[in-house]
Amino acid sequence: MIEIKDIVKIYRTGSETLTALDHVTLTIQEGEFTSIMGPSGSGKSTLMNILGLLDSFDSGKYFLNGKDVSDLTDDERAAIRNKEIGFVFQSFNLMPRMNVLENVQLPLVYAKVPMKERKRRAEEALKRVGLENRMYHKTNEISGGQKQRVAIARAIVNNPSVLMADEPTGNLDSKTTLDILRIFQQLNEEGTTIVMVTHESEMSAYTKRIISFRDGILQSDELQEPKVLPKGGV
Amino acid sequence: MFFKENLKMAFDSIFANKMRSFLTMLGIIIGITAVIAILSVGNGAANQLTQTFSDLGSTSITLSAEDETGSQEMITNEDIQLLKETIPEIEYISSDNQTRSELSSDFETRTAVAWYGTPDIQFTNQSMDATVIHGRYFNQNEYDDMKNVTVISEDTARALFNDRTDVVGEMIRLDVNREQLNLQIVGVVAGAFEDLQGTFDLSQMPVMLAVPHTTMSQLSSIPSNINSLTIQVETTDDIEPISNQAVRLLEIRHNSVGENNYTAYNMLQALDQVNNVLSLFINFIAAVAAIALLVGGIGVMNIMLVSVTERTREIGTRKALGATTRTILVQFLMESVILSLIGGIIGLMFGILLANGIASVLGITPDITLGAVGLVILFSSAVGIFFGIYPARKAARLDPIESLRYE
Ligand SMILES: Nc1ncnc2c1ncn2[C@@H]1O[C@H](COP(=O)(O)OP(=O)(O)O)[C@@H](O)[C@H]1O
Ligand SMILES: [Mg+2]
Repeated sequence: MIEIKDIVKIYRTGSETLTALDHVTLTIQEGEFTSIMGPSGSGKSTLMNILGLLDSFDSGKYFLNGKDVSDLTDDERAAIRNKEIGFVFQSFNLMPRMNVLENVQLPLVYAKVPMKERKRRAEEALKRVGLENRMYHKTNEISGGQKQRVAIARAIVNNPSVLMADEPTGNLDSKTTLDILRIFQQLNEEGTTIVMVTHESEMSAYTKRIISFRDGILQSDELQEPKVLPKGGV
Repeated sequence: MFFKENLKMAFDSIFANKMRSFLTMLGIIIGITAVIAILSVGNGAANQLTQTFSDLGSTSITLSAEDETGSQEMITNEDIQLLKETIPEIEYISSDNQTRSELSSDFETRTAVAWYGTPDIQFTNQSMDATVIHGRYFNQNEYDDMKNVTVISEDTARALFNDRTDVVGEMIRLDVNREQLNLQIVGVVAGAFEDLQGTFDLSQMPVMLAVPHTTMSQLSSIPSNINSLTIQVETTDDIEPISNQAVRLLEIRHNSVGENNYTAYNMLQALDQVNNVLSLFINFIAAVAAIALLVGGIGVMNIMLVSVTERTREIGTRKALGATTRTILVQFLMESVILSLIGGIIGLMFGILLANGIASVLGITPDITLGAVGLVILFSSAVGIFFGIYPARKAARLDPIESLRYE
């Protein structure tokens, strides 16, 4: 469960200051599939980086699974990211010299999971995104959509509390976008909590909850009946 | 913990840029090649010298006297007797001098080297063999009584007496600076130049004879004073203490303690000096090699900095996935160490090849020690760590968000 209270994030560049998040309070429960909406520059990525413990904030409190994580050292945050958070980036960020299986294993390497166990869990994660027959391909030998599915497998391989995706389909065509959304819905159904940043309402229509931002201020927070994609076929 | 993963990542990234990695290693390769070649050849040369010098006379001491007033008798015959009696480790002791001369028989005249000393010259002299094949060596009585006797070598006999060797009893004439001595041959020792048979024109070689010092000093050009002694001891270990003891005894007998009139000298000291020169040379080359290594190290640092910049996004991603500062530091440090180490090992192989090449030209055996190999491993790892630490720290300290945004 994610709880943030009165989070303020201010960027200072020279003499200018910019309030990227202005007293944001929200709670995300286990099992939710939430999209964070808003125009460019509204603070979506800033919020995502804070929720993902990549960035710090100026005031407010952050509780992750009931634990106060507002004030941690870099290494403590690295450990929590490794265990509790799975990232999916717009530009995939796969390791170029590793094959698909090795890429997916990377979080488990940092979690100090033994090699055999690592391989078994990575294979399982790849099965969940439908890439079990691409395990030994290099990352430059697969398509964009497949790359993002590898990234999703990597994000879920260590069973995190929450999967965070910042514009995950920004570099993909519309058909592949639907493939990714289908995987997200399937994972969510299997119990994974997902937070997805997007600026397109066509995307957020597939999520259960929409939180909107404008100029760093939370504008609206609504539950909805998501559009459902037919399962399988990825 | 991440040793295997880090090792694989290091190799992957080094082999992903083969040419670049090789050029980076070049400085280290050259440095290590030089170090190994020089050390191996240097050690080989030192071994050879040590062997040669030990063969030559590691059990022989040359004791020389410096007469400042020019008139004093620095070493007397009594001194020689006393040294022999008081120092039991002394096997043989003799004054051992030589002069150029001409030697004539009834048949032949030849240039000669005339050795002169006490009867022990038979054993202390390195040029003439001690093995008597005809007759006997001259003795103490003949020495004391200045008898006109001599011992010649076998090849001298052959040269002067139409190839005869048993010439005991024959007379020969010695010319030194237009003064003559008629000498009776009392013995013939084994030939000195047997080894050289066929290589040199032996008729051009000077012949050799040995004469009592007392007899020789009848000539006006030969001083009767003894100013140097050759002492033969049993083992190398005796050299130091006996040298000191002999010098001290002479100083006391001649009331010149602390005046440094007597100096003892041994081949081992000469060896020390040669080794000093050799090690000076080795150190100089080592310094040059160290500069090559330094340049190589800077190359490693440079390429690692480039690598960190190129992989900023990768570093950001790794951090997002849970890599700690330390993990990233170790990963990049490992890469620079492996880079240097591969360079070191290539250098080691080239060095061994080069050492064998140089050594075979010089006709010596190169001495490639395990220590030198260990040194290479240690040194190139150290270069990798020393020059890799800065880029690795830079990578480890990157801010995850900034690096994820990096294009
Ligand atoms: N590192 C930074 N330094 C200064 N300003 C920043 C930085 N990152 C983001 N901002 C600013 O903060 C605001 C919110 O940015 P961001 O969270 O990236 O918006 P979004 O993801 O919704 O497009 C923008 O005005 C952006 O220019
Ligand atoms: Mg954004």
